[in-house]
Amino acid sequence: MTSDMRQPKFNRRTWLIGGGLTAAALVGAGIVRQWFRDKASVFVAKNQRYDASLVATIRDGLASCGFVPESVRGKRVLLKPNMVEPTRACPHMTTHPAIIVAAAEVFRGWGAIVTVGEGPGHVRDTELALVESGVAGALDTTKLPFADLNYQDVAWRENAGRASKLAGIYFPQAVAQADLIVSLPKMKTHHWVGVTAAMKNLYGTIPGIKYGWPKNVLHHSGIPETVFDINASLPKTIAIVDGIDCMEGDGPIMGTMKPMGLVVMGANPTAVDATVCRLMDVDPWKVPYLKLAADRLGPLDDWLIEQRGEAWRPLVSPFKVLDKPHLMRMVRHRGVLVS
Amino acid sequence: MPAARITADNTDMHWLDSALDQLARGPVCGYEREATPATEPTALSALALITNFRSNSARPAIDWLARVQSADGSVGIRAGESPGWPTSLAVLAWRAANSKEYGGQIERAAAWILQAHGKTMPRVPEFGHNSEIPGWSYADETSCWLEPTALAVFALKSIGHAQHSRTRDGVRLLIDRLLESGGCNYGNTAVLGQTLRPHIQPTGLALLALASESDPPGRLAKSVAWLRQSIGEETPSASLAWALLGLRMHAVQLPDSDRWLSAAYERTSKSGNSLHKLALLALAAKGWPR
Repeated sequence: MTSDMRQPKFNRRTWLIGGGLTAAALVGAGIVRQWFRDKASVFVAKNQRYDASLVATIRDGLASCGFVPESVRGKRVLLKPNMVEPTRACPHMTTHPAIIVAAAEVFRGWGAIVTVGEGPGHVRDTELALVESGVAGALDTTKLPFADLNYQDVAWRENAGRASKLAGIYFPQAVAQADLIVSLPKMKTHHWVGVTAAMKNLYGTIPGIKYGWPKNVLHHSGIPETVFDINASLPKTIAIVDGIDCMEGDGPIMGTMKPMGLVVMGANPTAVDATVCRLMDVDPWKVPYLKLAADRLGPLDDWLIEQRGEAWRPLVSPFKVLDKPHLMRMVRHRGVLVS
Repeated sequence: MPAARITADNTDMHWLDSALDQLARGPVCGYEREATPATEPTALSALALITNFRSNSARPAIDWLARVQSADGSVGIRAGESPGWPTSLAVLAWRAANSKEYGGQIERAAAWILQAHGKTMPRVPEFGHNSEIPGWSYADETSCWLEPTALAVFALKSIGHAQHSRTRDGVRLLIDRLLESGGCNYGNTAVLGQTLRPHIQPTGLALLALASESDPPGRLAKSVAWLRQSIGEETPSASLAWALLGLRMHAVQLPDSDRWLSAAYERTSKSGNSLHKLALLALAAKGWPR
């Protein structure tokens, strides 16, 4: 779990001050650093469809990543899809309702109190975002409650990341009070930060009424830095990525559809995003917010990520990115321009 | 319960009376039922009641807005809570209620609006819009965006500042943000060479603020046309209401609008009955108070 990584079960400082210094001197600082680095599991499912058995995929995937169903019994679980600027003309921009419904069924089946919550980044009319994304119909059918994260009362939380200048972050009540947040992003390219998946999706937990539409306070404080800070400051968070019909090119809004047929999930959003990058043939170490998060919120290195389900290498399919210098550096290893 | 009213196209306007009754029972309201009172829905509730000849019922909302006004003149999103972008809506509500009685509040709020600036920056090729034009932001120390600018321009015009340099800059910004083919979104026209999509609500708000303005290249006329063909019976409440309010300012009255508002009311009633949405629908049914 993300929070486990932020709250070690032993006191590393004490260890370092005590006998650890001796040990470090003996085995070398590099080895000690690696010893401290946590591993995380990420599950990849292929040949997935919106009209097939996503419930089983999600249930099995989370279980294989070590998620303990009993841990959410009677707990408040907030499902956070991506609905940044929905339009029926571009369904591959937003999390498919089938993913939301399936995740809800899994967590309800485990006894959780499930709410869907989102604060669309570009649209003040949240009802419009729900209708255009198809999520409104899904909520009606399944009787899932919805929390409008843009307008809810807020709670201030100290910025646990401190990568940006923000001393604290306002979170909507549904976020601040959640026992578990499930990031349900769409797998997409992003024209400023390269890739948007589990971590960047959590920009949508920030209330527009305080930060604007778009959430411009975050932009002016640095996008990578605030993605990191939000993820560091949120309650416990896991991720289930809609990688079935994805977006490449000019994401996260204007890109083109790229079918991948994947669902990617795990208890550590940083590790999940690193795997998503690899599936897109993007170097995760070149994605600025992932570089910030590396080994602080979760691992990026492949050897630190225990792959469950399908191996990622045979599934790699390069996503087109815009031919801009800040994006090309993320795919330099491909050796050719792809846009 | 008052008798149902019938409009020119025989649409039953019973919904409007029902919406107004609900607003009158609790004009100081939040975005959702039982939510903490907030400035935007409360100001809209007051405006809806006033334009529908229920000014007495609007009084608690008008007074609440006055009570939560800060010493610097701003009216935050909720009592004691910044930022102050809804200040423009409070001005519009006070002005509609009684501009003399609330003259002090209006003056202080106008002073705050006139000193509030969104950030400008030199033009860069990544963005299609002119980022050097000053307008209004949602939050301090952030860029100018379309809806807060439209609200500020509309409020300033309503209290006699139509020719103020800030208002004229705001008008320039709004016209600059209209897309070539009509309509606008939250405030970007093109990013990294890609033209973005227009949205209904911001286009309605922009048209509201751009009443009596001209745009020689014709983007204003195209925006009216785009908005007109973009709404219908299924359009969600807030977008529909702002669209109709904006179109009305450009002398466009759609024959089906009463039916669409009625349908939106039905949907709102079934999904939590947000007083914010009811206020917008009731305001759109009658039009902005003169």
